[in-house]
Amino acid sequence: MSTRALGLGAALRKAAFSPNLVRNQAVLRNTLGKRFIQVESLTPSAEQNILNQQRLKRPSSPHFTIYQPQLTWIGSIANRVTGVGLSVLLYGFSIAYLVAPTTFSSQNVVEFVAGLPDAVKYTGKAILAAPFSFHAFNGIRHLSWDLVKFVSVKGAYVTGYIVLASTAVSTAFLTFFK
Amino acid sequence: MSSSLVLRSTLPRALARRAAAASVLQARYASTDAAKYIPGGPVLQGTVNDPTTFPPPSRIHGSYHWAFERLLAAGLVPLTAAAFVTTGSNYPILDGVLGVSLVMHSHIGFDSCLVDYLHPRKFPTLGPVLKWTLRGATVATLVGVYQFNTNDIGLTELIAKTWTA
Amino acid sequence: MQSLFAASRSSRQLALGQRAFSSSLRRWQAVPAEKPVLMKEFKIYRWNPDEPEKKPQLQSYKIDLNQTGPMVLDALIKIKNEIDPTLTFRRSCREGICGSCAMNIDGQNTLACLCRIDRNGSKNTKIYPLPHMYVVKDLVPDMTLFYKQYKSIQPWLQSDNSPEKEHLQSPEDRRKLDGMYECILCACCSTSCPSYWWNQDEYLGPATLMAAYRWIADSRDTHKAERMERLENEMSLYRCHTIFNCSRTCPKGLNPAAAIAKIKLEMAAE
Repeated sequence: MSTRALGLGAALRKAAFSPNLVRNQAVLRNTLGKRFIQVESLTPSAEQNILNQQRLKRPSSPHFTIYQPQLTWIGSIANRVTGVGLSVLLYGFSIAYLVAPTTFSSQNVVEFVAGLPDAVKYTGKAILAAPFSFHAFNGIRHLSWDLVKFVSVKGAYVTGYIVLASTAVSTAFLTFFK
Repeated sequence: MSSSLVLRSTLPRALARRAAAASVLQARYASTDAAKYIPGGPVLQGTVNDPTTFPPPSRIHGSYHWAFERLLAAGLVPLTAAAFVTTGSNYPILDGVLGVSLVMHSHIGFDSCLVDYLHPRKFPTLGPVLKWTLRGATVATLVGVYQFNTNDIGLTELIAKTWTA
Repeated sequence: MQSLFAASRSSRQLALGQRAFSSSLRRWQAVPAEKPVLMKEFKIYRWNPDEPEKKPQLQSYKIDLNQTGPMVLDALIKIKNEIDPTLTFRRSCREGICGSCAMNIDGQNTLACLCRIDRNGSKNTKIYPLPHMYVVKDLVPDMTLFYKQYKSIQPWLQSDNSPEKEHLQSPEDRRKLDGMYECILCACCSTSCPSYWWNQDEYLGPATLMAAYRWIADSRDTHKAERMERLENEMSLYRCHTIFNCSRTCPKGLNPAAAIAKIKLEMAAE
């Protein structure tokens, strides 16, 4: 059995490099003796338990807080957020109409919107047009990936920038010219 | 391992003592019940040499679901384009199809979020509650959209009118 | 050794104002160009299992880049050798083929041995272990689950044909495996994937899925159907939302996202 397996490497090395220690045999015996006392034989399940006790103390390393913001995953989470936002609007309006059809009738809604000041109208239109455009264009990007088109880092970036540019154009168009 | 086994068999008394010591040790380490498997936790199932296992195969949750999701999304592309150039009141079928597919697309999206972030295996109470809440909300939305499309002016017309209001 | 002593003695003699002989060692040696000191700060994630109650924290080390090799791994080794021997990290081949030194450097997962040190001394470099992994110590994550998942896809040739000699394959079929067999399983891709962060107990992650496709795509393997059948569930494969962090971060320039896209399309076409 090697010194390494016994865990004596450090003690012996220490002894070899410090002549004082070698001369002082009592110290050497103590170091070796202590090592032998620590050995205990365990069943595999007891070993597993020790490992599990150790595992329970382990922290989880940081993730999205330290990961570099990249077009890849920021674009992906934006796709999800915009989709959820638009869907919440659809669900919200539909359920509201189901509960109170007269309050949320098209006439009331249109009248309410017509009564808003222009600034609010344009802001609202931009807030709706931007996620819709992004989700629509990015959805097409995703569909092309699913057909194994543009599935490369370069493809992902080129299509990503195209989506961003189209979103900007489309948002501006829908907000001001529609 | 084998050599120690031989040693033990020749020394029954030592074996008994060892076994007693081991059981004490086991009891000591097993007494902390915290080391049980929690999905996503640091404690793993099986030993380091066991492969992870797969859930029972189901195409409904696998490739069929994926393909349906993509076909639905692809179908929304021409539907959305059509909604831009026509009006729903002229083509009520367009409004109906758009309403149903948008709600299904949304439902799949919401469901995907729940599976990703709030799966029942990790959230045994909140997970199922939200899953059924979503199902209820989707049914209510479908009814609401149907009501709006039949009794009122329909989704595309509403969007067009509010947009230019 | 002796000549070195001789040189140092001769230089001492020079300092005392004695004659320098043209034959002395000192005259033969070129004077090494004095490199300016370029200090750079490295902030490294530390956690010690012997003091588990102490929260993980970033520890700062400053080293002279002009006395360090070009790669981040060189810096880590220098810090371990000269400043803090308790700093713990995995490393082996120092040339990007073993995958041991995978870690998160300045926000990106990569191999420390393939990552050049940013020589801008005014900016620090932050080094974390691979994201969303349980930490054994400092920069060493627990890879057990990752390896167990790799094992689950049965990464070996399974063929019902028993050819007399070797399994033959056309050059075109062989070419389908290019870009997949090179994977070194460093886990950079899997641990860069947000889906793997949230669901790593059930979702296999890009590295394992690309390994799965490496065998699905192999013309010699006859168990393609079983391999795909195993992935037919909500979690193992379909938690992939084509985020592309995997391909973006792969230090070997491989494309796990493409492999996964191909699995999905083939499974839908079945």
